[in-house]
Amino acid sequence: MTRVATRIVTWAVLVLTFAIFVFPLYYLIVTSLKTKAELFQAVPSLFPHDPTIEPYVSVLIARGFLGLLLNSVIVGLASTTLALVIAFAICYPITRLPIRPGLRGFVLNWALSLRFLPPIAVVIPYFTIVRTIGLYNQIPALILVYTIFNLPLSIWMLKGFLEQIPAEVEEAALVDGGNRFQAFRLVILPLASTGILAAGIIVFAFDWAEFLFAFILTATPQSMTFPVGVQGLVTQFEIIWNDMAAGGVIAILLPLVLMLFARRYVIAGLTFGVIREK
Amino acid sequence: MTAGASGGTLGTAPAIPPSRGPLALPARIRASWSERSRQERLALRLLLPMFGLVFVVATVPFILAVIRAVTSDTGTFVGADNLGRALSNEQLYEAIKQTGVYGLVFLPTEILLGLGIALLVHRTVRSPLVRAAIYVAAMIPIVIPQVAVGVVFRLLYIPDYGLINVLLGQTGHDQILWLSNPSLAMFAVASVDVWQWTPFVYLIMFAGLQTVPPESVEAAQLDGASSWAQFRHIELHYLRPLLLLVLFFRLADVLRVFDHVYILTGGGPGTTTQFLSLYLYRIAFDFSDLGQASALAVVVMAFMTALYTVISRFLPADTN
Amino acid sequence: MIQRMKPVTLLATIAVVLSACSSGNTSSSGGGNVTLTIAAVQGVEDTGLKALKPMYESSHPGVKIQIVEAPYASLYTKLVNTFQANDATYDLVMMDDPWMPKFGTIGALTPLEPLGISKDGDVAQVVWDVGTWPPPRGAVPPSEKDKQKQLLGVTIVGNVEMFMWRKDITPNGPASYDEVLANAKAQNKPNFAGYIIRGKATNPVTADFLPILWSFGGDVFDENWNVTFDNAQSVAAIKFLVDDLKAVAQAGPSSSDASDRDRIMATGQGYQSSTWPGEINTAVLGPGTTVTGKVGFEPIPKGPGGKGVGMMGNWMLGIPKVSKNQQAAADFIKWMLQKDTQMTYAQNGGIPSRTSVLKDSSLQDKNPYFSVLADALTAPPNWRPRTDQWNAVETVIGTELNKALAGQQSAQDAATNASKQIRSLMKQAGYPTAQ
Repeated sequence: MTRVATRIVTWAVLVLTFAIFVFPLYYLIVTSLKTKAELFQAVPSLFPHDPTIEPYVSVLIARGFLGLLLNSVIVGLASTTLALVIAFAICYPITRLPIRPGLRGFVLNWALSLRFLPPIAVVIPYFTIVRTIGLYNQIPALILVYTIFNLPLSIWMLKGFLEQIPAEVEEAALVDGGNRFQAFRLVILPLASTGILAAGIIVFAFDWAEFLFAFILTATPQSMTFPVGVQGLVTQFEIIWNDMAAGGVIAILLPLVLMLFARRYVIAGLTFGVIREK
Repeated sequence: MTAGASGGTLGTAPAIPPSRGPLALPARIRASWSERSRQERLALRLLLPMFGLVFVVATVPFILAVIRAVTSDTGTFVGADNLGRALSNEQLYEAIKQTGVYGLVFLPTEILLGLGIALLVHRTVRSPLVRAAIYVAAMIPIVIPQVAVGVVFRLLYIPDYGLINVLLGQTGHDQILWLSNPSLAMFAVASVDVWQWTPFVYLIMFAGLQTVPPESVEAAQLDGASSWAQFRHIELHYLRPLLLLVLFFRLADVLRVFDHVYILTGGGPGTTTQFLSLYLYRIAFDFSDLGQASALAVVVMAFMTALYTVISRFLPADTN
Repeated sequence: MIQRMKPVTLLATIAVVLSACSSGNTSSSGGGNVTLTIAAVQGVEDTGLKALKPMYESSHPGVKIQIVEAPYASLYTKLVNTFQANDATYDLVMMDDPWMPKFGTIGALTPLEPLGISKDGDVAQVVWDVGTWPPPRGAVPPSEKDKQKQLLGVTIVGNVEMFMWRKDITPNGPASYDEVLANAKAQNKPNFAGYIIRGKATNPVTADFLPILWSFGGDVFDENWNVTFDNAQSVAAIKFLVDDLKAVAQAGPSSSDASDRDRIMATGQGYQSSTWPGEINTAVLGPGTTVTGKVGFEPIPKGPGGKGVGMMGNWMLGIPKVSKNQQAAADFIKWMLQKDTQMTYAQNGGIPSRTSVLKDSSLQDKNPYFSVLADALTAPPNWRPRTDQWNAVETVIGTELNKALAGQQSAQDAATNASKQIRSLMKQAGYPTAQ
């Protein structure tokens, strides 16, 4: 194949792939701008005839999902922070202090194996626990559960980042007369901040979209999160397509904005510390 | 994950405790604690409480599940009753089979696709603007909540009204019943997964490709190596650890799939897309058979642990 | 940077504090200010309820109403979870009538008559019967036989399944299922379904199929809880659905839910189907419809045995035993039952249960099916088997029927497989299912 032909084919493939991946989002946005009457057409349109932001108003205000958004933010922030703190407390000794390889391996493997656990398998026990300690339909219950499920990713990401920091840097700080805690605060923490932020953003994105536990452990808008609200729009008799699409678009916005602003960190996080700058 | 310096160990390893014999163990423990370096004690004091707490909190549900699995609805001990009922339900085996097929067939697809596209972009797209645009586009499927994904794809796949069928109709073809035909339903559900996670694989692979030293690549090209050889011997070497890690995480996720399948097909047609998670959900919530559900949960957890133990040997050894 | 960490820590602390503050019970009954939390089903059935909320609040100062919605299946799961958790979040719960056996058996609801709610003759007797546990007639679960019959739920959506057809095409609706099939065959053509099947797995297809089953003389159980789903009449009914009707139905019926059926009818692409009253004004004749004035309504057609049996699907309001606002909740129910409230309710999209309201001439225009509904309620219609295992049974039936509709098994196999599973789960649950 000539170089030109290769280039054309390659670009065609790329453009096609791009279109395939972006199209569903486009259709989601289009659907979120349609009026209810338009949804009933026999042939759905690719472009709204009478674009309206009514579905967004309906979702946020009439249905009161603004409160659910706030809940999602609170739960996401709290559980991400908690998971990062715990992950740091576990990763720091593992990567920078002498620990038996056996113990180290056990901790890391245990963390990764958690990821293989289908949430549905532990939903009932967690429901029982939450119910027994009286946290049913309360936000702290969600925070607790999300923190645990955040740990695998947090631990492995932080581990990757902490391993990147050379021992000499820390030793230098110790030699300069600081104690270990100062070394930690002034040297390790800043160097690891990239990793912490990276892991935090990705973990937050996953928390944001979580559905099953939020559904089972909450009952009223005081603690319900946004995905539960959006799913509630799938009714038996009407699927309120436009409102649900609006809900979907709103749900994408916050993590998307976060990820856009923190591009460097996200890339770094996704490669578990291998890449630090774009 | 071996690029860059490792953390290294600071301090010395403990001396091997001597002695065998009846009093060896306590002596060994006492000796070993005081023999450990200050640093190691510090490490353990930091690690053990935190890890211990997390371990306990995460393991309690497992214990509860085991207890519930051997008790009846009224609280009496029933031994392996629930387990027997769980294992004699043929739908369980169908669910396992469907989950296995799903994982084995579609997981490689998204890995290969992601890798392929990453290679393509890495080699042919030079403009940073285009790369950035692709990056943003790749972000989107990852952050969409499963619920919204399920809805969009429903809008694409349902008969008559779904966009794909509409397009087929307008170009003179018969419509395809994506969600009612058993084999197509599996494909429809998998396509959602592929759509959502190939970009994730792409992002990781693409970033990994950036770490390949250009000099090695140039040297190979000067030596007349083909694209394929270049990939196999140079890029793959740098990508291997990342590839394995991505494979791990995606395998775990694919085996746990629930949300979008629930919305798209609810497990149907019949039980074709009733994967393990959906099957568990049905037993627990549609049948309200919590005993059987707990027994199933225990079985699933044991199985996952075994599976993990087997495949973790292939995980790149961590630096020590 | 450390500076970067501080805002994050600060944010997290605020988040945790906020969450601790916001996690308080919203139903407070101190100082005369009451918030009634109602768990309602998301969709057409709670339209009327939502319209009534501001009216109640303005006429009853000191009472606030919070309506928490969830879709059908989710609501059931949510209610079961909440009752198991003994959680006092909800003061009133909307329940579909087939859920009553479960909630009645686990004793989750407060008897209503002691709270001042009395049975009114203007409401069809079957409406009171469906809200009573144990049921006053028909098979009673063995564990409930000795319990005293009590009113545990009051209907707020008077729902009986009926039949709809395009009366602009054929002025008279089918009187029997034979006519249904004949008309369907005559009318079926590309882009116009002779019959619209609601075939999605579990609840949808079961709800659609039961009237057919009963009209053919079949049933799921007999009086003693033996399974009759695989007897001759039942199999004939199943064959009718998955063989005869499917041949003249829309494409892909096994993934069609009510919303799909309504859309097909509303866009003029279907000829006839069964329907719930709730679907009519919001979906079939709702915004964007092209068939206003073209749709006729009638009771369920007769089967080969000469009987046409409607199925009821009333939505009731009940009060959880653990609610802290029992009397306030009961007062709300009483208010909803009043005739003037029911008139307003009907005018705002609700489906009333009072016969006098349903027959009221001023409402007939906007609600052409009201008088059919009134007759259907007094007929009386059949209700779904009163067992606390109904959800499981419905899941089994729904899955097997769905498989047959998708062409994965024959009608006979669907009957056999479903019956086998139902027998084993009923025996497991302690019912005297002999065979």
